[in-house]
Amino acid sequence: MSLRTVFESQPDRRYIMFGGKGGLGKTTLSATCAFWLASQGKRVLLFSVDPQASLSDIFQQDIFGKGPVPIMRNLWAQEVDADRRIRDYQEEIRKKILDMYGFDRVPEEIDNYIAAASAEPAMEESAIFDAVVDIVVQGDYDYYMYDLVPLGHALYYLSMAKVYDEWINKITRLREEMRQYDQVAATMRREKTMEEDKILGELLYIKERINASSQILTDRRRTAFFFVLVPEEMIILDTRKAAELFSKFDVPISGYVVNRVLPPDLGKGQIPEYLRNRIAMQQKYMRDIEASFGAQILAHVPEMERDITGLGMIERLAKRLFEEVSAR
Amino acid sequence: MADETKPKKGGILGVFKDIVYGMSSHEMTRYAVRSRASMEHLFILITMGDLLGVPILPPYYSLRLLPYVTPQISAWKRRMLRERDITDVLG
Repeated sequence: MSLRTVFESQPDRRYIMFGGKGGLGKTTLSATCAFWLASQGKRVLLFSVDPQASLSDIFQQDIFGKGPVPIMRNLWAQEVDADRRIRDYQEEIRKKILDMYGFDRVPEEIDNYIAAASAEPAMEESAIFDAVVDIVVQGDYDYYMYDLVPLGHALYYLSMAKVYDEWINKITRLREEMRQYDQVAATMRREKTMEEDKILGELLYIKERINASSQILTDRRRTAFFFVLVPEEMIILDTRKAAELFSKFDVPISGYVVNRVLPPDLGKGQIPEYLRNRIAMQQKYMRDIEASFGAQILAHVPEMERDITGLGMIERLAKRLFEEVSAR
Repeated sequence: MADETKPKKGGILGVFKDIVYGMSSHEMTRYAVRSRASMEHLFILITMGDLLGVPILPPYYSLRLLPYVTPQISAWKRRMLRERDITDVLG
C-alpha cells in the first residue's frame, strides 16, 4: 500500500488527519497530500485547529483568521483564530441577554462570569472544537484535511468529544425530567398550553453538533487517520503508545508515514563520521519501525535538501510521494 | 396567584371543579412545582457551577445556556450559599 493507493481505493474517506508529535512534519504532509488531491481535481480544504498554526508559514501567505483562503486551483487553507472566535461569542451571549430581557446593560455578576469563562484553559480548545464543527458540517469540499495539533492535544480533543457527549446526554435527561414535572403541574391545573423549553432546544442543538464532529473522527468509512513518525527511538515509542490510545477512542488508523529518511545512497561515498553514524542509527530504527508497523507503513519521505515552504517545494515533495517509487 | 383573581368561566361547574382541584390535586401540583424548582437549581449548578467556583465542565457551551438562566442566577446563588441549620432538616 502507498498513500496514493489509500486515497484511490477509499474515495469515501474524505476526512483526512495527520497526527504525531510536534515538529515531525504533519503540516508538511497535510499540505503535500492536499496539494496532490487538488491537482487531481478534488476540492480540498486544509484547515488548522492548532492555536499556533503553521499553514501561513508553509504557504507563505498570511491566512490566519481569514476563513478559507484560496491557495491554488481546488485548494483552500484555513487557520482558525480561536481568540477572536471567543471574543465574538462572548459578545453574542451578552447581546442575547440584553435582547431577551430588555436590559440596558448585562448585570455585573453575569458579565463577570462571561469574562471569567473565557480565561479558562478549556475555553480555547472548546472554541476550536466548535469551529471545526462549523467547518466540517458545511460539506462543500471533497476533502477536509485536518492539520492536527500535537498528539497530547489531539487525544484531549478526541476525549472531549466523548465527555461532552455524555455530559450533554445527562443534562438533556435532567431537562426532560424537569419538563415532565412541568407537564404534571400544567395538567393538574388544567392548563392546555405549555411554554416551549428553549434550554432543551439549545441542549439538543449542542448535542447534535458534538455528535456530528465526534462521529466523523471515529467513522471508519469516511475518515483516514495517518501517523507521522521519524526513525528515532523516542518517537517510535511515543507513536506506539499514541496508536494504542487512539484505537481506544475508535479512531480508524489508516497507516504510518515515515518522515525525514536520509537518502540511503548517501552512505556510499566518502562521508563524515557524524553523518555515517546518523545513517546507521536511522537504519536501525527503520528496522524497528518495519517490525512494529510493517504493512501499515505507507510512505518513506526523504529528508529534502531544504525545508518545505512554498508551493514549488510542496509540489516537488508531492511528486516524490505520489508519483515516484518510495525513497527507501 | 394572579390568574386566580380572574373571573372564571363555567359558573357553578367551574367553582366545583376548582374545589375538587383544591382538595385533590393542589398538593400534588405544589409538589411537582417544588421538585421542578429544585431540579432547576441542580441544572444551573451543573451548567454554571463555576459561578460558585465549582468548575464542572468546559464553559464554552454553558455560556450558550447562560442567557436562559440569567434571571434565576441570583436566587440560585442565594440558595446554594446560604447557611443551613436544624430547621432545614425539620422543614
